[in-house]
Amino acid sequence: MTLFIQQLFNGLALGGVYCLAAIGLTLVFGVLRIPNLAHGALYMLGAYITYFFLTTVGVPYIAAIGIAAIMLFVVGVGLERLVFHPLRNSPHTHHMIAAVGAMFFFQALAQAIWGADFRRMDTPITGELRILGAEISAQRIVIIVTAVIVLALLAWFIKRSIHGQTIEAIEQDRVGASLVGINPSMVAMLTLGLSALLATIAAGLVAPINLLSPTMGDALNLKVFAIIILGGLGSLPGAIVGGFALAIAETMTATYISSAVGETVAFVVLVAVLAIKPNGLFTKAVQR
Amino acid sequence: MLTLDNVSAGYDATDVLHGVSITARPGELTVILGANGSGKTTLFKTISGLMRVRAGSIAYEGRQLHRARPNAIVKAGIAHCPEGRHLFGKMSVEKNLRLGSYPHRNSSRTEEIYAEVLDLFPILKEKSKQPAGSLSGGQQQMVAIGRALMSDPSLLILDEPSMGLAPIVVEQVLESVAQINRNGIGVLLSEQNAKASLAIAHRGYVLAEGRIVLADDASRLLNNPEVQAAYLGL
Repeated sequence: MTLFIQQLFNGLALGGVYCLAAIGLTLVFGVLRIPNLAHGALYMLGAYITYFFLTTVGVPYIAAIGIAAIMLFVVGVGLERLVFHPLRNSPHTHHMIAAVGAMFFFQALAQAIWGADFRRMDTPITGELRILGAEISAQRIVIIVTAVIVLALLAWFIKRSIHGQTIEAIEQDRVGASLVGINPSMVAMLTLGLSALLATIAAGLVAPINLLSPTMGDALNLKVFAIIILGGLGSLPGAIVGGFALAIAETMTATYISSAVGETVAFVVLVAVLAIKPNGLFTKAVQR
Repeated sequence: MLTLDNVSAGYDATDVLHGVSITARPGELTVILGANGSGKTTLFKTISGLMRVRAGSIAYEGRQLHRARPNAIVKAGIAHCPEGRHLFGKMSVEKNLRLGSYPHRNSSRTEEIYAEVLDLFPILKEKSKQPAGSLSGGQQQMVAIGRALMSDPSLLILDEPSMGLAPIVVEQVLESVAQINRNGIGVLLSEQNAKASLAIAHRGYVLAEGRIVLADDASRLLNNPEVQAAYLGL
């Protein structure tokens, strides 16, 4: 039972990270209608910039994540302006090729600055908490709490604030949104910036547990794509439920079956969902 | 005053509008008559900036608008309530209406206009928390017109507001269009229902195959034998 509770918290922490990364990707899909294959690379860059501010500059941990998140917001806006915006009227394959190009660019950039070797970001938050007899590391509690706060703020932003509502408006009806005076280019920039910001928070939170490397985004990329397909492309509740469900399934399988199988759970579930309910679990009908 | 001078526009390689010139005078109700495929929707999309002007010019209250984007055109005072409504189906009626005020989102007039819209369509008060997509066709049309009014326009463009509605609802919708016009907002209306729309209009144009073939006062168009034969079924 202690092991189970331990692993449940591990799953929740991992789920928080997956959610933050997946929500950005699903928002970008909803607004720009493209799968942003460079998403994992933005996550990786966010981790390195957090690492830079924490270890090289020496700012406090949460501040380092905050600075990195703001910088990545700007990178996301730049990616939209320089790469996706010029391609807005071209076929979808062009976007995907451009996104893969951006991914390689970011990986090469990280490698040029920080080298190809794995880097370790030391846990700034130490100690453990006893919950129901299980020892839970404080870092994991920080991840869970931060993820919940960020998700709540995001929900408020999208549902209540006028700028957040423009994201939903574009998702639901692009023509209608243009006619009420919303500028789709501005919303596209905002959305990509937001997705990079959220990915950075995820990366900064999980970096002390995992190692940093220029290709660390690749595995995450595959998983967040699995999550948003699972939850239904463009669906926010789908990304949240999908993120936690996948993380818990992964942790439990790794604990009770084998860690090698744990890594494959995402794709077993993905194949099963695509076979049974190809539109995802949280969509009622095909949207375009 | 809205003035289109020799405007051409279209899709891909083909022009749909061929040198269309019309004027909509301030505060007047101008109706565009024409069969399906005559170019009414293209004309309206071109005015509101959803489609590009290929030749000619559009001016509104002295400003050149033929290169402007839709968001600038709404700000200039032209609101377009499109064919097919294009509501935000999963959002509540109230959110749909309030997003209509996006161009002037910090204006103090918003609440005043919101109250006016609910006065015009009282049923929307009851439905304000429901998703717009769950409403009946007539009610959705009211939301679409209301959302366009929320931008505080001086000219409202209505593309076939009665399309697909039951005859009794058509009457209500056209009555509210006349009411909006009586409140001082200029209206540019396209309609299949020529008789009913000419009855509330000041001026009318007949569009055929992307060209203006007739332009006259509404009352004279009503009695014009060509119009009667083609659109009034007399």
